[in-house]
Order: sequence, then structure tokens, then C-alpha cells
Amino acid sequence: MADPGAVARNEQEHVSHVARYAVVWAALLAFTILTWALSRLHIGGGWGLAVALVIAATKGTLVVLFFMHLWDQRGANRIVILTSLVFVALLIGLTLSDNATRFKLANPPGSEGALPAGPTDYGGPPAVPPRGRTVEN
Amino acid sequence: MNPSPHEGELALGYNPRNYLNTPATGLMSWLNTRDHKRIGVMFLIGTSASLILGGIFALLIRIELLTPGPTIVDAMTYNRLFTLHGIVMIFLFMIPAIPSGFGNFLLPLMLGAKDVAFPRLNLLSFYLYLAGAAVALWGMIHGGADTGWTFYTPYSTTTVTKIVPILLGIFILGFSSILTGLNFIVTTHTMRAPGMTWTRMPLFVWSIYATSVIQVLATPVLGMTLLLVSIEHAFGWGIFDPARGGDPVLFQHFFWFYSHPAVYIMVLPAMAVISEVVCAFSRKNIFGYKAVAYSSLGIAFVGFFTWGHHLFTSGQSPLTGGIFGVLSMFVGIFTAIKVFNWTATLYKGSISFKTPFAYFVGFLFFLVFGGMTGIALATMSLDVHWQDTYFVVAHFHFIMVGATMMAFLAALHYWLPKISGKMYPEGWGLVAAVMVILGFNFTFIPQFLLGNEGMPRRYYSYPERFWPLNVASTAGASVLALGLLIVLIYTVVTLKWGPVAGPNPWHSRGFEWDTPSPPPPENYETTPVYTHGPHEYDQDAAPARVPPAPEPRHV
Amino acid sequence: MSDATAPPAASYLAHHFESLEKQTHAARLGMWLFLATEVLLFTALFAAYSVYRYLFAADFAEASRHLQTWIGLVNTIVLVTSSFTVALGLDRATKGDGKGARAFFLLSVAMGALFLFFKYVEYAHHFHTGELPGRYYTGDLGGPGVPMFFVLYFLITGLHGIHVIVGMTVLSVIGLRAGKGAYSSAYHVPVELAGLYWHLVDIIWIFVFPLIYLI
Repeated sequence: MADPGAVARNEQEHVSHVARYAVVWAALLAFTILTWALSRLHIGGGWGLAVALVIAATKGTLVVLFFMHLWDQRGANRIVILTSLVFVALLIGLTLSDNATRFKLANPPGSEGALPAGPTDYGGPPAVPPRGRTVEN
Repeated sequence: MNPSPHEGELALGYNPRNYLNTPATGLMSWLNTRDHKRIGVMFLIGTSASLILGGIFALLIRIELLTPGPTIVDAMTYNRLFTLHGIVMIFLFMIPAIPSGFGNFLLPLMLGAKDVAFPRLNLLSFYLYLAGAAVALWGMIHGGADTGWTFYTPYSTTTVTKIVPILLGIFILGFSSILTGLNFIVTTHTMRAPGMTWTRMPLFVWSIYATSVIQVLATPVLGMTLLLVSIEHAFGWGIFDPARGGDPVLFQHFFWFYSHPAVYIMVLPAMAVISEVVCAFSRKNIFGYKAVAYSSLGIAFVGFFTWGHHLFTSGQSPLTGGIFGVLSMFVGIFTAIKVFNWTATLYKGSISFKTPFAYFVGFLFFLVFGGMTGIALATMSLDVHWQDTYFVVAHFHFIMVGATMMAFLAALHYWLPKISGKMYPEGWGLVAAVMVILGFNFTFIPQFLLGNEGMPRRYYSYPERFWPLNVASTAGASVLALGLLIVLIYTVVTLKWGPVAGPNPWHSRGFEWDTPSPPPPENYETTPVYTHGPHEYDQDAAPARVPPAPEPRHV
Repeated sequence: MSDATAPPAASYLAHHFESLEKQTHAARLGMWLFLATEVLLFTALFAAYSVYRYLFAADFAEASRHLQTWIGLVNTIVLVTSSFTVALGLDRATKGDGKGARAFFLLSVAMGALFLFFKYVEYAHHFHTGELPGRYYTGDLGGPGVPMFFVLYFLITGLHGIHVIVGMTVLSVIGLRAGKGAYSSAYHVPVELAGLYWHLVDIIWIFVFPLIYLI
């Protein structure tokens, strides 16, 4: 029978990871400070959020690859996490594409191009029926 | 048949030391079991009970629609009836029936494994199923819900019916589904016996694997969505409420992100069963093994890109709707690959027209007919005409219920000798199959016509011009119910008094038939070694799969 | 490398696995799949966030500026550091040093508690100023998207907080078991899986921080 510790040693233990962990930790702290500092600049036009998300994705990748050892592990585990990311992109992307390209009056009241926000505790139909909904029924 | 103990039973092909009586037979030994076969059987009992309950709701609905005006119930009760019918049939029967029931029983057997990867998690999944069912049923008894099984906001967040317990029950059921899916994926990756490469896996395993991927990735979104609706119903935060800036269509996006792939959670296992049955009863290798195997993954993947076709008339952007409409049609390609391969398998096969094969024929009809109407519905302009009519009702009953129920019944008949070691009465089986298939057609073909004429769904009364077709539909439902009742009766009789079937009554080359029936608790006496793929009928006899000098299974 | 007190590796092998190698692979794969379901669970909330951020961009930015960014920043640093100590704890466990693993895990739990304390301070402030979700919002800002921001704020941080509590429980239990010598250098999969869970909680916060505090 194979040595029971073979996998563990192959995948994790032939080197000590303390140094690697420390470098990753320092990088994570640096990126955290960086993203906070960049947010103070108030970059306009949505670029601020884009930059912040790129930094967050970088940090997340570092954690996944080195703290969570995906760097050293089998293919199946990598496929799992990549597949889940595909579906994250799918849900967010396609849902958002609907709201972004929709007939503006079909968006919730108060948002840009839609009806103005009504009284807060009023649940009745808006004054002008949005055209996108009249085909129903 | 033969009352004498083990020797006589063994001579007849009944395995005396099987999972049903080993290690013990008491109720506690079942409730505490880690054996995937017992858990599978318990799932089958639970899902069959749900099928009966949902069927009773369906019959009440059909009786109410027998006449144009009020017949037996008032409008509110009718709303509750169709909601409960949907919830019970979808979440308690169709989603768990084949994967958690037959899948649990068969997956390790087909892989040559002793059990699933996480047996305790498997048992937990069953108890979560029971708990979720109990919570949901509690809510049904104490007020029910009148929203339809889709829980569309803002109605679901303002209804006075007991919706929160039902939502929480489905939330729990979702976890049961996730755990089963997770277990099956890990089992398929890590528990395959020596020689069982990916391309030697039975097609049943491929389809169940694809199903599990959907279960794991889609169900959490449903869980979160139902929690949001519960929060909204309890506290009124307004996340889906247009009066507070919320977008009700967002709920529909979330709901269908799960619930459209959920259709494939129901249909892919049906395809899994059919792929096995078609080989066994035409005595031929499957035509295009790899095409059938990979198209399962294709359906699972593309199934996630299509949810927006439920939102064509809900205010969704036409651009997004168009994208979703085109993507929806891609599912038809993968399904067609399977259908053509199954029919090609029949070609020049030596077909034995037994009950499972009869259900295969029914399945093929429902899948193709339901699928083609689905392609039509995925066309935005046509959908505007059919949206929320009985055309849609008939379409999804054909594709989901028709396909799944045919496969469930095919699986029940095909594997009953494996599960119980007993043989059902073939004559009654064929009679019931004909009744079920014809009854199903007579129930739903009138509904296609009704929907095309404009009869909307979810109303308890209708104009008189729809009367004749509704009577036809109710008559069909009665035949269908009677057919299912016959199945139920002879299955119970078979379990108790049926003749011993023998280890492999179909002479099937499926791997699960290599072990005695019913299987021993550890599945195989010795670890099997596989040297060729499944369904190989072109060889003279089943080649040896067990090495000549096997190691003992338990050390 | 291996310590004498730990049970022999064979006793970790469940009856239905052929080898400990396969069992370890199965446990890891199962955990990654579970983490994928967690990611998808949060994705629904992130998708709702994206939609409403798109619809009410100005209101979201204004509401976000009213949060105390320093708490978010400190909490990010705390959580990232706790991830680091969890990784160090796993490193101890791979060397067969159960007591070292326990020390690092309990340190991480303490940082989780610190995170929750800051979260409490923040929540208390929101209750005080009426920055509550949906119709309960009684704060100063006027736009229609502001109450929606707080709906998502409480949903996302609340769900994340629940995960922090679960993660602290898991780390405590596994850490204490490791301290009693339940694992060895040859077999320490539970330590690894507990760590994976905590890292996921950390990753989610890494994304929550810019989305909630920095827009």
C-alpha cells in the first residue's frame, strides 16, 4: 500500500511555506493600503470602482493560490473554483446587461431615466404605465 | 414462492446476504444507515409518497376545471392547490427522485465503489429532505401559499398566506440537493474502481454527474433568493419592491437562474436512465458513447445561459431577451444529439418490448414534442402570444413531467429486480405503461390547444368555449391516475409476493448487474477491475471483470 | 517528523476508501465544491448590489461616503492578518506540531472576535443614526437609492458576519482538537479544511471592502 502521507508531502510539505506566507501577507496589506489610498483620490467615471475591483481580485487570487494552496493542488480543485467564477460572471453579467439595456421606464422608479420616486409608502401603479409591461396579460 | 431459507433462495438467484437484511433489518438500522443503497431506497419511498400527494392535488385541480364555473373549490383554495401541486411535484418529487433515489442506489454500484465518498453526508442529505418536506408541509397545512411555485414578487412578499415556512422548507430541501450533488461529484472523481476510466463510465454516471454540477452551482442562488423573499415578506425592506426602488424583475432573474437549470436537474437524470434502458432492451452498444456523454455536460453548461426566456414579457430588455432566446435554442442541439444517438442505437438492435422499453418510447415522444414546443416558446415574438397560457403549462409538463415520469417509471421497472430481487408482472406493467402514456397525452395535448386559443393559466374558471377540451384533459388525467395506481399496487405486491428475478433478468451488460441481486452490503464481494467500457453487447459474453486471485475486500 | 502521540495513519482511513491518498483528495475536492456553493450564495447578493449600484450610482456613492471607512480598513487588515495566522497554523500542523497549530488558530479566532467587535461598533452607530434598511431608514440622506444601499449593506455584511462566527467556531474546535494531538504530520486534513473555510471568509471580505466602503 502506498505511503499514506505521500500526497500531503508531495503537495505541501517538501518545502516550508512560512516565507511564502509572509510575502503574501505583506502583499495583501500593501494592496489594502493602496486601494484605500486610491479611493481617497476619487477617480471619476466608474474607474475608481474598476481599479478597486482589480486590486480586490488580485488579493483574492493571492489568497486562493498561496494561502489555500491551489498553486500546489490537483486539477479538479482548480476547475471547481474556475467554474464557479464563470457562473458568478454569468449571473452578474447577464442580469446587469438587462438593466443596462432595458427600456428605461421599466427600471425602478427613482433610477436614471425612469419615473421619479413616489411617496415611500405608496404601492399603487405609477401614473404612466411603462410600455414594456403592457404586453403582459 | 420458496419459503425455505437461504439455500433455496440462492438456487433461484436471490442473494441471501443482501443489503436489505445485513447487518440488521430493524427500523433503527435503516434510520442510522450509511449504506448508499438503503439511503437511495428511503429517498425512493419519500419521493414516491410525494408523487402521490402531488398527484392528488393535480386531480383536484382537474376536477375543479371540469366545468367552466366553480366546481368543487373556491378561487383561493384553487390558488393554493396549484401552488402546492407545483411545489410538491418539483421540489419533493422531480428534483430528488432520480438523482437522490436511483442515483444513490446505482452510482457507487456502477463505479465499482463500496459507497459514496461521504456516507454520513449522504444520510444528512436524506434527513434534510425529510426536514424540508416537514417544514413545507407544515406551512401547507397551516394556510398554504397562493403564489404559484414561482413565488413572483411583489405578490409573494405581500400575500397573507403562510409563505415563509414554505420558503424555508424549500431552502432546506435545497441543501439536501446540494449535499447529494457534492457527494456524487466527489464520488465520481475519487471512488472509481481500478480500470474505470472516465470514458468507461456508464452513461448514467455521466448524466448524474452533469446534474450534480447544476445542483451544486445553482441551488445556492435559489436559497439566497428565497431568503430574500422571506426577509421581504417579514420586514418589508423593499429589495424587490418598486415602491422602494426595488426591481421585481431582479427576483425573476435570480429565481430562474436556479429554476431554469433545475429543469435540467429533472431531465438530465431522466436521460441518464434512458441511456441505460435503450442499450439493455435493444441489446446493442450505445451509438456514439462520447457524444451522449459530453452532450450531458453541454446541456448542463448551456442550461445556465437560458434563464431569461422566462422574462420575455416581464419588462426585460429586448436585447437581453434576444440573447437569451438564441442561447435557449442551443439546448435543442445537445438534446437532439442524444435523441439521434438513442434512435440510432435502436437501429438493427434486437428489441425486447418490455415495460421499461415502453416507457422509453413514451419518453422519446414527450421529450421531442415538448422540446420542439420549447424551441417555439424560446422565440420572443411567439412567446408574447403564449405567455402565461395553457400552452406553456402543457409544454413544461411534457418536457419536465413527461420525460421525468417516464424515466422514473422505466427506472423503477428496470431496476426493481436489482433493488428488491423480485420481478414485477410484465403483463400488468405493459397495461399500466400504455395507460400512463396515453393518459398523459390526453391530459396535455388538449392543453396545448387551449393555450393556443388563449386560455390563461392559474384561473379556476373559464369561458364556456374552452369547456370540451377541459373535459378531455380531465378524462386523460383520470386514465393517467389509474395507470399510476396500477403501478403502485403491483409494485407493492411484487415487493411482498413477487417471484424471484434472478441476478440479471434482462441479461443486461450494465456494470450494476455484475453483482448479485439484491446487492450485498459492500456492493461487490471483491473489488472489480474494469477492462472495457459499458454496454458492450457486441462481445459474446460478459468478460471477466474480477481478477482471478482477488484480495479479500475487508481486511 | 511525526510525533509519537498521534494515532497511526491507518486509523484515519474510512472503510470505503482504497487509500488515504484518495480519501484526502476526496475531502479536499468536497471542500472546494462546498466553497463554490458559498461563493454562489454570496453571488446573488453581489448581483443585486451590482444592479442597484448601476441604477442608483450617485446615491450609493453618497451613502458609502457616510460610512466610517477606517473601520472597514482596520477590519480588512485584521481579517487578512488572521488568514495569515491560519496559514501559519496549517504549516505547524504539517510539521506535526498540534500545539503550535492550536496557538495560531486561537490567535485567528481572537482576530475574528476583534473583527466582530468593530462590526458591532459600526452597527451600533447605524442604529443610532437611523441608517437602517428600506422603510426603516431615517437618516439624513435623501436619494431613493440610499435605503436600498443599506438593505444590501446589512444583507452582505450580516451574511458575512454569520460566516465569521461559523468560521471562528470551526477554527476553535479544530484548533483544540489539534492541540490534543488528534492529527499528525501524515494526516491533518481537518486542519486544512478549516483553514480553507476561513480563507474564503477572508476573500469575501476582500471584495466587500471596496464595494461597500470605497465607491
